[in-house]
Amino acid sequence: MIKKEFGMTSFFAKYGTIAALILLFIVFSIMVPGFLSYSNFINILRQMSLLFILSVGFTMCLIVGELDLSFANVASLSSVVVAKLIVSGLNYLISIVIALSIGASIGLFSGILVTLVGISSLITTLAMGIILSGVTYMYTKGVSVYGHMPAPFLQLGRGMIGSIPILVIIMFIVLIAAQVFVKQTRFGRYMQATGGNRTAALLAGVNVTAYKILGLVFSSLGAAFTGILLTSRLGAANPEGAAGFLMDGFATALLGQTVISVGRASPIGTFVGALLVGILNNGMTLLGVPYYVHDIAKGVIIILSVVITSIHALKLERA
Amino acid sequence: MNVVEMLGISKQFPGILALNNVDFDLKEGEIHGLVGENGAGKSTLVKILTGVIKPTAGSILIYGSKVSKWDISEAYKYIGAVYQERELVPFFTGLQNLFLGFEISKGSFLIEREMFKQANKLLNRYKIEVPLDIPVNELSPGQQQMVTILKILFRNPKVVVFDEPTAPLSLSEKKSLYELIKNLKAKGVTILYISHYLSEVLDLCDRITVLRNGIKVSTVESSKVTEDELIELMIDKSIKEQYPKECVELGEIVFEAKNVSFDKMGIHDVSFNIRSGEIVGFAGLVGAGRTELARAIYLGKKFDRGEIYIFGNKFVSKSSWHSIKNGIVMIPENRRTEGLILDLSIKENLTLPVLKNLSNMGFIAESVVAQISERIRERLSIRCSSLRQMVRTLSGGNQQKVSLGKWFAGKAKVWIFDEPTQGIDVEAKREIYQIMGDLAKNGAAIWFISSDLKELVAISDRIYVMRKGKIISEHQRPFNEAQILRQMLGGEEF
Repeated sequence: MIKKEFGMTSFFAKYGTIAALILLFIVFSIMVPGFLSYSNFINILRQMSLLFILSVGFTMCLIVGELDLSFANVASLSSVVVAKLIVSGLNYLISIVIALSIGASIGLFSGILVTLVGISSLITTLAMGIILSGVTYMYTKGVSVYGHMPAPFLQLGRGMIGSIPILVIIMFIVLIAAQVFVKQTRFGRYMQATGGNRTAALLAGVNVTAYKILGLVFSSLGAAFTGILLTSRLGAANPEGAAGFLMDGFATALLGQTVISVGRASPIGTFVGALLVGILNNGMTLLGVPYYVHDIAKGVIIILSVVITSIHALKLERA
Repeated sequence: MNVVEMLGISKQFPGILALNNVDFDLKEGEIHGLVGENGAGKSTLVKILTGVIKPTAGSILIYGSKVSKWDISEAYKYIGAVYQERELVPFFTGLQNLFLGFEISKGSFLIEREMFKQANKLLNRYKIEVPLDIPVNELSPGQQQMVTILKILFRNPKVVVFDEPTAPLSLSEKKSLYELIKNLKAKGVTILYISHYLSEVLDLCDRITVLRNGIKVSTVESSKVTEDELIELMIDKSIKEQYPKECVELGEIVFEAKNVSFDKMGIHDVSFNIRSGEIVGFAGLVGAGRTELARAIYLGKKFDRGEIYIFGNKFVSKSSWHSIKNGIVMIPENRRTEGLILDLSIKENLTLPVLKNLSNMGFIAESVVAQISERIRERLSIRCSSLRQMVRTLSGGNQQKVSLGKWFAGKAKVWIFDEPTQGIDVEAKREIYQIMGDLAKNGAAIWFISSDLKELVAISDRIYVMRKGKIISEHQRPFNEAQILRQMLGGEEF
């Protein structure tokens, strides 16, 4: 009745990502002087924190079975919005709330287009991303935003508590909150059910429309929050500041789907994914590998993780 | 001369013997009808004939000589099958579809004129009229079917199989299809014709083979048999004592529909009721509107006319969760794609509809979830290694128990069972009947949709027959099975 699976492919499907993580860690420890140190370790965590917060939002979107191609643009927009508002003298907390609300509204709007109008999320969020990119340029006239920002705001991205960066602490709070939300609340369960089988969830009385929209809202919200933290870290904002996050975000979240159980996205999986991408970025930078090789490596990671999930999915279908 | 001869064909599926030692033959140039109830083995026989599946035992002879290896590509040389779902590229023209993969070309360039010439020859030969120069998705269903048939005739097959070909057709389209079939016969092509519409089969066919429970009952000359005699042959009388019906005291009317119409779905003026403790069967062919009616009510689709009452109170559902709140639950037809979330665990599936009551400020009380799931597992004897096991890894019968088990934690009053025993083995079927019986004993009102007339007759208290979106009759115990079957099939007028 219960089918047990053995063999190399299922081993890699199950533990491949973790094995790759360990392998990468060992290789860099041997090859890269200074890689294996407390300060570099903290460095890796700080570098990956923004990527993780962004990807965990996108993970929520994957959980309900939708895609989001607009998150990098949402992050850029939110980054310049919060910067402009603060520089213009508005209270920084109010500015943050406004930037987050804009992010959430974008997700809500995309979600409504996807569920009620019935346009695929791929197309909806692609178009939304392009629109937002234009809006961001229009809003900034294409130039970076900088000026005086209050110290407490800058502390978010730059401050330390003891020897731990505040960004890293925020990352772990987001990780725990997201993991608890997905695994231990009924809303998270409904999201998983919606992504797992929309019709079955609907027939079981789950308001699938609402949870699909919620997934897209979380994705935009995570991106907006990332944009705010980015501004705080840099003390300035650039209309294309978060563009580079698109590839890394995808790599991270797709990798995350291969960690715990294949094909199922989860915040903790995304954390492992972000760690892998973070270590890869850090090690390659320390090795002096040119930036374009980073891109090649990340592209290969996306393909590999998708190959693993689709092989596994095929196996499940045949079983 | 026999074009095809199938000898001693058996097919064993897990838990079900779909065909049992069937001998079957097709004579050159005859029109041969194949009839039987749902699950009698018609489609299995056709799948073996067309090489889609391999028989467990038996042999196939073509023109009297035994074929060692019978598979799709071998069958393709002799046999063409017209299924309901058409294999056409929608935005290609009839001609482009017809020559797909066999295009006539000079170098890399297509020669349309030559293709038209050949296609016209084919059209004239079989006296078919269908425009070949417009995209097939702009054609009517009947015309699309003609293009499909043309595509098959293009290969010059010895046998053409028609599987329920008239279901989507209008009256005039039916007439031209019958004309075509007669023309094919005149040109020496052998026809295998499968249909639920017995009058159609009797009019068209030379011989008719009746299957029942995987056994060939007989092959008869259609001139020597009446429709009633055919029905008698199709009905299995031995089966009733296998599923003993428990007698339950009936209570008040729990669910009542009065003149309900969903115009868009073709459901008109449906009135019925279900009492507490009662199992009410819905008989009919696929497409008669039984599933559509149940789903529309359950999902809260807006109906155009009529009223629905629960315990005498007027009720208008707005959504599935609204129906559930009011005690209506549904176990859908296809458990894998509609009844279960395969990648969630057994306990996650079992408690999905009641999660609201099992959580505090949104946080799920896992211990209560485990307790309730364990209780349901025991009650339905779901066989699994752990409640954390993914539902995907369960057998069909156990999956069905999870699919219906998820309603046991709630306070359901009206249970809609849509084909609950489809594709599960005999033992699991018996368990499902047992569960339905127990539910009825505890006062549930059971709305039972099934295409398997045997089980409907065995465990229902009352049966409504639906045809073409209408309830056409109501039957009380003891049931007259032949009469129900006759009403289901209906005399299809020419």
